[in-house]
Amino acid sequence: MILQRRSRLSLLLMLLLFAPFSGCAERDTQSGNGGSGGASSGAATPKVAYVTNGIASFWVIAEKGAMDGGKEFNADVNVQMPANGVEDQKRMCQDLLAQGIDGIAISPIDPDNQGDLLSEISQHTKLITQDSDAPDSDRLCYIGVDNYTAGRMCGALVREAMPEGGSVMIFVGRLGQANARLRRQGVIDELLDRDPDPNRYDEPGAGEIKGDKYSVLDTRTDGFDFGKAKANAQDAIAKYDDLGCMVGLFAYNPPLMLDAVREANKIGKIKIVAFDEEAASLQGIVDGEVYGTVVQNPYKYGYESVRILAGLARGDESVIPEGGFIDIPARQIRKDNVDEFWTELKRLTATGTPAPETSADETEAEEANDDKAEPAAESEKTE
Amino acid sequence: MKKNLGILGILMVVFLATAYGSKSFFTPYNLFNLVERSSLYGIIGIGVAFVIITSGIDLSIGSLIGLVAVMFPFVVVEHQMSLGAGLMAVFGLSLAVGVTHGLLITKLKLQPFVVTLCGLMIYRGLARWLVSDKTMGYGNESFAGLKVLVGNASQLPGCASLPGAKHVPVVFLILIVLGTVAAIFLNKTIYGRYLLALGRNEQAARFSGINTTKMIILAYVLCSMISGLGGLLFALDYGSIQPDSFGNFYELYAIAAAVLGGCSLRGGEGSIFGIVLGAALMRLLMNSISMLGIDDQLEPTVIGFVILIGVIVDQLVKRIAAHRRAVLQARQAS
Repeated sequence: MILQRRSRLSLLLMLLLFAPFSGCAERDTQSGNGGSGGASSGAATPKVAYVTNGIASFWVIAEKGAMDGGKEFNADVNVQMPANGVEDQKRMCQDLLAQGIDGIAISPIDPDNQGDLLSEISQHTKLITQDSDAPDSDRLCYIGVDNYTAGRMCGALVREAMPEGGSVMIFVGRLGQANARLRRQGVIDELLDRDPDPNRYDEPGAGEIKGDKYSVLDTRTDGFDFGKAKANAQDAIAKYDDLGCMVGLFAYNPPLMLDAVREANKIGKIKIVAFDEEAASLQGIVDGEVYGTVVQNPYKYGYESVRILAGLARGDESVIPEGGFIDIPARQIRKDNVDEFWTELKRLTATGTPAPETSADETEAEEANDDKAEPAAESEKTE
Repeated sequence: MKKNLGILGILMVVFLATAYGSKSFFTPYNLFNLVERSSLYGIIGIGVAFVIITSGIDLSIGSLIGLVAVMFPFVVVEHQMSLGAGLMAVFGLSLAVGVTHGLLITKLKLQPFVVTLCGLMIYRGLARWLVSDKTMGYGNESFAGLKVLVGNASQLPGCASLPGAKHVPVVFLILIVLGTVAAIFLNKTIYGRYLLALGRNEQAARFSGINTTKMIILAYVLCSMISGLGGLLFALDYGSIQPDSFGNFYELYAIAAAVLGGCSLRGGEGSIFGIVLGAALMRLLMNSISMLGIDDQLEPTVIGFVILIGVIVDQLVKRIAAHRRAVLQARQAS
């Protein structure tokens, strides 16, 4: 009798569980463009995936670009954002491969040590890298920015903000990622007037890095914990009376730094230089509280990734440029061009807008990029 | 077996529903991945089960996994010591952690929650400090031999020609061996019965002559050692270790698997097979969510609900059983 009741309960449970799952399954097979997941639906509409290295507003813009690319190039785009580092990224990619995806554009979290995953992907489908490169893998091309050069551009903003020199603190989510390390190194090298060398690495725990005019007091990481990111900024303000400039290298850092500086009533006294295009950072530039920011073009990362993957899925190899690198240069945004940039950004991320051919300010960025290092050298820095 | 019917039922339903909804699900490639992931989480689930059975808890598993994963390449690659020395360091550390937890809990009478919560923070900080937050990798040639542990069974010596071996993850074999040993230990040896007894009522167990202090320390040692092994396997599988995040929340996955598998957080109950099923169910759900194209933002919600439903059903079944038993006894008495 007990068993009978038990199986009745199990049955009830099965029904409860089954209903939503089977509903989803049906819904999924009916979904057309822009749907996420499901089995491959034929060559006419290739199924491509865009895999980020985490969850962030930066990636939401990239997702918009990827989705717009999907509409433009008639591809079914599946955007995956791993919440839990390499483990999630691996799981998501394997699940995509199991679904018979026609191509994957990935931002590898740790390219040097994810060789197994990258070769697993390249064996099953078309692999391209975006945002962060993996030159040792069999990726067909890389779409992105040179983070070291972008870091130097950020350092140049610090110089402009604080022409007399002074002390600088750097804040970043984690230094384990190649892009974070390169940006940080770029800032330091620019401030210390060193020759460009993306392979240089100043250990973060080694104490103050002193130059003639500028000194980098410390680099604080927060592991993507926003509470800790703000506490790091507050502690730095409390600890260093003479702090001249705070540099935030991940999108969410600058707004939290700005909050901390505001609360300490040190706006103007402590300059803020940002990275990426978080709304609060841009508003800070408009209000004169943030000196400037270095922006990438995540929309283009998404859009271009889908353009290339869709082309490859249809057998068009000509979408891959010579050298296998599509440079989407970084740009410096200051008070004089923030309005123009922000308007463009809003237009791109609004629903239903067509994808742009070129973005504003690219000429300026190309000038700034003249001395850029070879992008292929980029991921060799991850130790 | 009987008490795992509920979870086995849910597992089967989700499995069949996903196979029905997605033709990519029931493929050798996907099933291999699924079994491999389930095995990895099953292993750490077995570890924490020993502690939960004694009515304790271990919140430091994830951080210990992170520390172990960082320490191994730190010793072997950065300090160029032998693989054996690296393994000794890793398991020595796990042993030390387990003994320390056990001593603090039994001798100083600290609460397991507090001790292991502190452990969670201490080991995470140590892992980050040890390598200055540098990402550690397992690409070095020294690890090539060990990588077999996270490959398929056909890579094992002498197994290359076995039919179907390449569809069997080696970690699954490790899980079977570990699970069998753990189940025999728990159910067929006197020490296992001691653990169950002291989990139900520590005082009664002590008064009946069981050295509860030793047994509790043993439980924490087993948990830490198995976590250390799990950490090593996770690290070999993922290849890239970020000291600040590797292993985050793994303790909660392990605890959830144990609870889903019939362990009571009040102690005294638990089955190894159930825990393995619990771990498998969570990995299966994650896989189903991507296979069926359900928004992956909903993933934690779905998993949370399933655990909740599993526990509710378990509770209801127990209540009904108790009620029936009472009625039966009353009838016999009259």
